[in-house]
Amino acid sequence: MIELRNISKNYPNGVGALYDINLHIGKEEFVFIVGPSGAGKTTLMKLLYRDEVPTTGSVIVDKINIAGLEQQQVPYLRRNIGVVFQDYKLLPRKTVYENVAFALQVTGCPRSQIRRKTMQALELVSMLRSAKQFPAQLSGGEKQRACIARALVNNPPILLADEPTGNLDPATSWEILQLLDKINKRNTTLLVATHNKSIVDGMKKRVIAMESGRIIRDQQLGVYSGNL
Amino acid sequence: MVEAFTSFRRSGLMSMITVGIITISLTIFGFFLLLVLNTGNIIGEISAKMDVSVYIQKNLSDSEIAAFRSQLVSLPGVEKVTFVPKNEAWRDFKEKFAARFSLDDVVEDNPLPNTFSLEIRSTDLVEKTARMAKQVDGVDDVRYSGSYLENTKILVDAMRIGGFIFVLLLTFATLLIVVNTIRLTVLARETEISIMRLVGATNSFIRGPFIIEGILIGVLGGAFAILILKFSYDAIAARILSALPFLPVVVDKKQLSTIYIMVSALGMFLGMLGGYISVSKLLKEK
Repeated sequence: MIELRNISKNYPNGVGALYDINLHIGKEEFVFIVGPSGAGKTTLMKLLYRDEVPTTGSVIVDKINIAGLEQQQVPYLRRNIGVVFQDYKLLPRKTVYENVAFALQVTGCPRSQIRRKTMQALELVSMLRSAKQFPAQLSGGEKQRACIARALVNNPPILLADEPTGNLDPATSWEILQLLDKINKRNTTLLVATHNKSIVDGMKKRVIAMESGRIIRDQQLGVYSGNL
Repeated sequence: MVEAFTSFRRSGLMSMITVGIITISLTIFGFFLLLVLNTGNIIGEISAKMDVSVYIQKNLSDSEIAAFRSQLVSLPGVEKVTFVPKNEAWRDFKEKFAARFSLDDVVEDNPLPNTFSLEIRSTDLVEKTARMAKQVDGVDDVRYSGSYLENTKILVDAMRIGGFIFVLLLTFATLLIVVNTIRLTVLARETEISIMRLVGATNSFIRGPFIIEGILIGVLGGAFAILILKFSYDAIAARILSALPFLPVVVDKKQLSTIYIMVSALGMFLGMLGGYISVSKLLKEK
């Protein structure tokens, strides 16, 4: 599903973010990417939804090298990749329902389907009751659920979550992870970048550990801090 | 489309400010357009008056007038001779000044003489021809626009070119103002745009509502500008006409509506361009 070959990334200001990354993620896998801040987790994620382009190497998503993708094609790639953020990135002046429906509207989805798909996504994340509320009226966990609903509403085969629990308390974090696990089991490839040790240790999934732009460990059924 | 209207409503104050600024710029633009139009008209009138008026004595008979005419035609430099009977001249005069007062109460008899109006082939010959016309028998007096005539042509050209350049610069300035103003409304929605990009909206999809919003703002600004222009111009023109009846102020509906259409078209175009440029700039930054 996802393959990174010989990736390195230097930002224009000369800062190196990734060095010599080789990685393969299969269909419907659940993968944690862990490591301290600045390890390159976010940059890695950005490469996958073409928010950044690698300096060298190729990023293959669903058999297409998206590093060489034409600018006009990027929107179509993004419709197949849902992205969840630490800060939710919800539009404050739209309701939860409108925020989720927005992702369908901008893809030119027929009006008749928008309502049905939006409701389905909201139901999946248990947010039907809050559909008419504005983001400011929601708790952190609810905002993250709304964000996940928006990422999923297009039914993407891949879901990326960058620090999804960064702003949440442990109990809510665990709920969100359960939700992500549920989504993974509905045939969605899932990548979660995090530095939340307890959830990684609790989920027992594949763990890719990064440090200073390099992969230092790739372990099935792994834990956060390796073989300590 | 719906998006554009909704966002227009939701960001009310911002849009109102933008419309206001565009209204002001377009009003200034339209004002200068009207000024240029009127200057052109006055200049046109002056250059049309590059002719020599020959007033003939009152007691000449019709046959004498005809003989007189053939003498004038033979003068060097004369291109066309038009006879203006005194009755016609009197009627014209009364019509022109009718707004001020009724002359019939003051003057019983037609005080104007019969006149021949000579069109002269070239400006240089005006003076010479006038001098010669004066020597023809039966001439009462000869009047012509005088020595400033030679400079008129240069002045006319200078004014036309200057006016054109000025309007061009003003269009450009208006464009800059409009683009930057609309950019403010676009920047206010930067997050929205970045999320649209993130969930896979195409660039043209993102641009659409902003361009429509720009057109909306431009058209509204244009409409307000036209209202302001129309009312103030009509008022000013009426004043000038009653105070200085001989000044050729443009009141022709057709010419004026051309200007108003130009103003609104410019508003719409600038709004559209403003929306397009501002969003494109934002889209390129990423």
